[in-house]
Amino acid sequence: MRADPIALGGGWQRRERTLTFAVIGIFALVVLRLFVLQVLEGARYRELSEGNRIRVEVLTAPRGEIRDRKGRLLADCVPSFTVTLDLFDKAYTRDAARLDTTLAALGPILGVDPALLREKIQRERKVSFLPIRLKRNVDIKSVAFVSEHRDQLPGVQVESEPLRRYPLGLMASHLLGYVGEISDKELADPQHADYLSGDLIGRMGIERKYEKLLRGQDGKRFVEVNAMGRKGEFLGEKHPILPRRGLDLELTIDLDVQRAAEEAFETGARGAVVAIDPRNGEVLALASKPNYDPNEFSMGITRERWNELSSGGNYPLFNRAIQAAYPPGSTFKPFTALSGLEAGAMVPGTHFAQSCRGEFRFGTRLFGCWKHEGHGSLAMHDAIVRSCDVYFYQLGIRTGLERMAETMAKLQLSEKTGIDLPQERRGLFPTPAWYDRRYGTGRWSRGVILNLAIGQGECSLTPVKLAQLAAFVANGGTLWKPHLIRSVAAGGSPQWAPPDDSLAQAVPVSAPSMREIRDAMAAVVSDPHGTGGPARIDSIAVAGKTGTAQNPHGKDHALFICYAPAEAPRIAVAVMVENAGHGSTAAAPIARKVLQGYFHPTPPDSASFLVKR
Amino acid sequence: MIAPRFSPDIDRPLLAATLLLTLIGIAFVFSATSMPSAAAEHGLYLKQIAYLLLALVAGALIAAVPYRVYEGKTSYLLYAIGLGLLVLTLFVGHVGLGAQRWLGWGPIKIQPSELAKVATVILLASQLADRKKDWTQIRNLVGPVLTAVVPFLLVLKQPDLGTSVTFVAMLFTMLYWAGLPLLYLFFMITPLANIALSFFTPVWLVFLGLLAVILYRSRIRLLPLLLVVSVNLVVGIATPQIWNHLQPYQKQRITTFLDPGADAYGAGYQIIQSKIAIGSGQVFGKGYLQGTQKALAFLPEQHTDFIYSVVGEETGFVGAAVVASLYLLLILRGIRVANRARNRFGGLLAIGMTSIFLYHVLVNIWMTVGLAPVTGLPLPLLSYGGSSLVASFLQVGLIQNVAMRWREY
Repeated sequence: MRADPIALGGGWQRRERTLTFAVIGIFALVVLRLFVLQVLEGARYRELSEGNRIRVEVLTAPRGEIRDRKGRLLADCVPSFTVTLDLFDKAYTRDAARLDTTLAALGPILGVDPALLREKIQRERKVSFLPIRLKRNVDIKSVAFVSEHRDQLPGVQVESEPLRRYPLGLMASHLLGYVGEISDKELADPQHADYLSGDLIGRMGIERKYEKLLRGQDGKRFVEVNAMGRKGEFLGEKHPILPRRGLDLELTIDLDVQRAAEEAFETGARGAVVAIDPRNGEVLALASKPNYDPNEFSMGITRERWNELSSGGNYPLFNRAIQAAYPPGSTFKPFTALSGLEAGAMVPGTHFAQSCRGEFRFGTRLFGCWKHEGHGSLAMHDAIVRSCDVYFYQLGIRTGLERMAETMAKLQLSEKTGIDLPQERRGLFPTPAWYDRRYGTGRWSRGVILNLAIGQGECSLTPVKLAQLAAFVANGGTLWKPHLIRSVAAGGSPQWAPPDDSLAQAVPVSAPSMREIRDAMAAVVSDPHGTGGPARIDSIAVAGKTGTAQNPHGKDHALFICYAPAEAPRIAVAVMVENAGHGSTAAAPIARKVLQGYFHPTPPDSASFLVKR
Repeated sequence: MIAPRFSPDIDRPLLAATLLLTLIGIAFVFSATSMPSAAAEHGLYLKQIAYLLLALVAGALIAAVPYRVYEGKTSYLLYAIGLGLLVLTLFVGHVGLGAQRWLGWGPIKIQPSELAKVATVILLASQLADRKKDWTQIRNLVGPVLTAVVPFLLVLKQPDLGTSVTFVAMLFTMLYWAGLPLLYLFFMITPLANIALSFFTPVWLVFLGLLAVILYRSRIRLLPLLLVVSVNLVVGIATPQIWNHLQPYQKQRITTFLDPGADAYGAGYQIIQSKIAIGSGQVFGKGYLQGTQKALAFLPEQHTDFIYSVVGEETGFVGAAVVASLYLLLILRGIRVANRARNRFGGLLAIGMTSIFLYHVLVNIWMTVGLAPVTGLPLPLLSYGGSSLVASFLQVGLIQNVAMRWREY
């Protein structure tokens, strides 16, 4: 009207009209929406606001199953009851003190201190509007009690949730791992953005490593809870999101071999066994003793019991197969010999200047041979078969630390094997540079080579690394990355199989050298003078090497590596028993049982019902 | 001292709507925090009254100084202060509800994004007021677009998607008011539409074809044409590629960011509770202080972002419609003031301030009635919060400033 078109820079009048109509349109839409909600559907919403409660219910996805290579079940899920509490129940929003009454009544039934329940509620209430899980895996008696006393326990519900079950109990516990509630620290990690407080997460072993595959995806739905505590689906709103079950894993593990390995240990023994297929790096068994029952964690473990497992006595949670490194002792001698051959320090027929009289003088120090009466003058083959220390002292000196370290670097001794399990520890074969760093340049004796040559001193290897090395000899020169997954399947149909090629690494060693080593290792078991006799089994030629690692803290550790059949190996095994004495008497018999488990499995009786195919 | 300077041309309906809404706001902040379970928040309405006094003073002061003072150099200074506060927030800000939005100094906490909006509108108005420039030339648009995009990105980083989009919304409204053809604005939005549609190849192709037809019919110059086409093609092709290369948790972050309701069990739940609250108010409501849903679950947001659902529950369709009408009145008066102003800067200033109201009211109310995702934008004048209230009064003060001096060139 009074506006001056020249001053306005043109055309505002028209723009005002357009904008005004747009704004009125937007507000008309709002009022229309209000009309629908409040007038047309108002009665329904009024009813909801007065009587019933709408809340979110999580539909927990069952984790994927884990089976061995022959389809035998290692881990699955079974239905269980979880007692939850909905803090937004009207009883508590009206009167916050009501919560104390509920918890006081609930504590004794669930067998949990009400103070602990309150602590849990305080921690989780900030995270979401979801009901809080008070206790998992509640027994049927408590479920009945909660259902009967519904009117006195407002907001308390019994929900069905899948419970992780390990039907074989202690069997393969370190390999499988276990599941537990996610910690606050893990929740803060952006990797875990899709977890909520109280969710389960894999810990250790396969459960942790393949958490992403195994977990699946939780669903949710809105439910309407009436005054009687009964639930019904809340229709008309968002559709329920159904849970997606986790993927099933088929492991490379052979339960027969695993069982044989675990049962070969005496009660209370500490040690580890790793068995690998030298043709492809598939892990056939991986055991660590003592072990624990992962079911304890699924059922909800008490703090005291956890402390007992994690720190008490023998550290049962500690996976000795991949987390403990030990001096390999005489099991190392084939590799010392290999480095000597490769470096050209000797030929198989070489006899060294000193024949074995039970000891060897280096400078002012005396180095003993385990056989005090001595072995006499030996060539390489017999030195390995009889495990003569004096021979290897001289071989070590002749080869020198630099050249030996070179070969050991090719065998990746100071690296992890890369097995698909979390928390693998690396071994060590020291180099001159390592000694310089450790003791200062020139401040260490060249005599270290004598100890290293017989697998003592600073050299240390994990059982899984030893198994990889045994497989390396068995297949004639390939280092396989040990792996545990044969296939991943969704609902029975295979989805993915791990690539094989990238797992193999050929080590450039000469074929004749390897043949010499293999001949010697076969004789260790077959030769009457050999130290590996206790590993012999019927009708199959076994090749191996014993080891006894000196332990400054106590009795020697017993070790044994082997593979079979010697001429065309299909299994390579490393055995370590802590503080058990001689490899020949304490470790080789365990290896024998493992090999028997592989070649002559006893007909399954106790395990047959677990095959569900 | 100030009083004589207020002219009789002050927009009385606008003033009345503002004050009424603010008083309604205080009443419902009181109601929303009155339940026994919200004992810690019982005194909030008193704080809101204190904020109101502060906001009145701030609004009166900014209205009293002739608005031409804010043009030119001053606008850059205000803008620089606003951006400085935003940057500071990113480094030393307080984390609230998962984002870094607050700047604290002793007991005082402010939300700099609220003030940055006002400063950005002032600078945009100052830039676009230059009548010598042809605003259909792309190179002339670079300045205003940068002015809005910088605070947009800073707020996006917090992260606060809802607030950051405010900067884009007001840029577009002001460009429109400055004389940019609607068609140009449409072209500016097309890359965004592209991002959304690029995942559905057939739909995307149809969209591209449509765009091509419009481009052909529009007879725009070659350079802008090439720009529009290339930006759209690049965005459309690159988006799915980039998406496929993201880590799963990064994808999750983005979807949560765009639609919090899709992920958080909380947000979907809030919407349902909000709808039950509003719906259960029926025609006349349950009566002031008689709401029951507010006790349930919006904590801690029912006195801030979800205050409209308390209004809807307690005063019903009638009350909710009245409040909506007051907002409509406020915005229409703002548009009228902008239209009436003879000075180009004044008109742009008024429309910019009005657009902030429009966008906030729209997004917030649509959220509470379940038409928009949960974004965390407050309802201006009604929601509890000092920064928001002061910023709203600064906006109204500036609109009134223009209204009182509409005759000036």
